[in-house]
Amino acid sequence: MNALIRSEFRKVFSTKLLWILSLSALGFMLLQIFLSVLVTPPGFEDLNQLMDPAYIKTIIASAGAASIFLLILGIVAMSGEYRNQTITSTFLTTPVRWRVMAAKMITFAILALGLALVLWFIAAITTMLLLGTQESAPFEWSAAFEILGGTLIGLVLYAILGVAIGSLITSQVAAIVIALVFSFVVEPLITIFFLSIGKWLPGSALNAILQTGGGGPESSASDLLSVPVGIGVLVGYTVVLAVAAALITNKRDIT
Amino acid sequence: MEHLTKRFGSEVTAVRDLSFSAAPGKVTGFLGPNGAGKTTTLRCLLGLVAQSEGSATIDGVTYREIENPITVVGASLEASGFHPARTARNHLRMIASAAKIGDSRVSEVLETVGLSAAGDRKVGGYSLGMRQRLALGVALLGDPKVLILDEPANGLDPEGISWLRSFLRHQASQGVSVLVSSHVLSEVQQTVDDVIIIRSGSLVYQGSLHALTEGGPAEVVVRGPNIAQLTIPADWTKRSDQNGELVITGGSIEAVGRAAFEQSLELHELSSKAADLEALFLDLTTEEGAA
Repeated sequence: MNALIRSEFRKVFSTKLLWILSLSALGFMLLQIFLSVLVTPPGFEDLNQLMDPAYIKTIIASAGAASIFLLILGIVAMSGEYRNQTITSTFLTTPVRWRVMAAKMITFAILALGLALVLWFIAAITTMLLLGTQESAPFEWSAAFEILGGTLIGLVLYAILGVAIGSLITSQVAAIVIALVFSFVVEPLITIFFLSIGKWLPGSALNAILQTGGGGPESSASDLLSVPVGIGVLVGYTVVLAVAAALITNKRDIT
Repeated sequence: MEHLTKRFGSEVTAVRDLSFSAAPGKVTGFLGPNGAGKTTTLRCLLGLVAQSEGSATIDGVTYREIENPITVVGASLEASGFHPARTARNHLRMIASAAKIGDSRVSEVLETVGLSAAGDRKVGGYSLGMRQRLALGVALLGDPKVLILDEPANGLDPEGISWLRSFLRHQASQGVSVLVSSHVLSEVQQTVDDVIIIRSGSLVYQGSLHALTEGGPAEVVVRGPNIAQLTIPADWTKRSDQNGELVITGGSIEAVGRAAFEQSLELHELSSKAADLEALFLDLTTEEGAA
C-alpha cells in the first residue's frame, strides 16, 4: 500500500491540479472572511454582529467552507484518470482495483489534512488582523481552536467523498456538475422546505461539524445536528459511497 | 484463450467463442480488420474487460491473479493515455513506484525507446509516434517476459515502423514472447513467426505465416512478345496482367515452361510468384457475401 500511496503522490505532484484548487480554496476563503468582517448584510445595519463571539467563530469557520474545493479535487483527480485514460496503466499495474482507490483516498486525505491546517491558520490570522481594524468583540484563539477539529474532519471527508464520486461518475464534467448542483441547488432547496430531512444531508452535516449555520446570518445553529452526529452522518455518506465506488469499479470494463 | 465471448449490452457481440494460443518465445501477429475484436480480446486477456464467457490466461493464470503483473507481462494498448501536462519521465515514475521498480529503470527505458532527450517534456506536445514509443516504454518498464502490444505501428512513420521491427526482433531474440496486433499485415509480415487472424470476433486462421502462404494457390508469371497465344490445359487458369504478363494458376513453373517451349513461344520471363499475402489476408478477413 505504501508503494501505491507513493505512486499517487507522484501523480498529484506531477500536474498543477493541486495548486490550482488549493489557491482557489484560499482565495474563496479570504473573500468570505473579508466580506463577513467588512460588509454588513442589509437588514443588520443597527446590529453590530462583530460584537457577537459566535459570529466571529463563524468567520473563522470559513476555512471549512473551502471543503467544496477538496470535493472537486478528489473528483477531478479520480475521474481525470478515466478522462486521460491513465486508468488503463493504473489498473494494469495494480489489477486489484480497490487498492488503487484506497491509496488515492488515503493520499487525498493526507493532502486535505495538510491543506486544512494551513487554511485554518490563515483564516484565524486574517480574522484576527481584520477584527483589529473594526469595533468588535476580542479575537480569542480558544474560539479558533474549537473550529480546528471540524475543519480537519470536514476537509478530509470531503476529499475522500470526491474520490468516491469521481469513480462512480467517471465523466469528469458530469461528476463536477452533479456535485455542484447537488451542493448549491438540490440540498439548499430540500433544507428550505424540509428542514427535518435537510439537516441529515452532507452539506448540513458539514455545517454541524464546523458549528456554523453556513456563515449566513439567516440560519441558526439549532437547525443543525450535534457535532458527533454530524461527524457520524458525514462518515456514513463517505463510507457508503466509497464502498459502492469500489464495488462498481471492480466490475467496470475499462475500454 | 478459450471460448472467449464478450458482449456489450444485448446488441453487440465483439468477440464470439474465440479460442487460440500464442506460443512462448515467438512473435505472434494478431491480425484482423478494424472492429474485428482485437482490442477487446486483448483487454479481456489483461483483465481490463470482463468476458461474458470463456477464459483468457497467460501461462495458465489470469492477469489479475499475477502478483505485480507488469514485471511478468508488459502491455501497450491503443487507448492507454497520458496526462497531457505530465512529462514522460513522470508518467513512467508514477507507474514504477506503484510496481516497486527503481527510478534508474525509468531512465533505461526512456533510452531504449529513444525518448531520453524528450523525456522531460510534457506528453501533450508529443507526436503520435512519440506516444507510441512511450507506450512501449511503459510495457518494458517491468522487464517482462511477455509483451502484448495493441497496434504499436499505428501512427508511426516508415522510419518508426522499421525501428519497431528491429525492436520486436530484438525482444524475441531475448526470449520474450510477443503478441502484436495489427490491421495491416505488411506492418508485421517481416517480423512475426505465427499469425492469428480473426474476423467479426471469430478465428479464421491460426498457424505459421509460412503455412499460410503455402495454402494459397501458386502463380506462375510468363512474359514474351506473343505470349497471349499460349494455350493451356483446361484445369489451369490464366489472366493477363497490366504490363503484358500472363499469370497462370494450376500449373507448376516447369509445366508452364514446357508448354511454352512446345508451342515455340519466345519467353522473356518465367517466374513463380508466391501467393499474394495481402490478397490472401483480404480474402480471409472480408465478410463473406458482404461484397
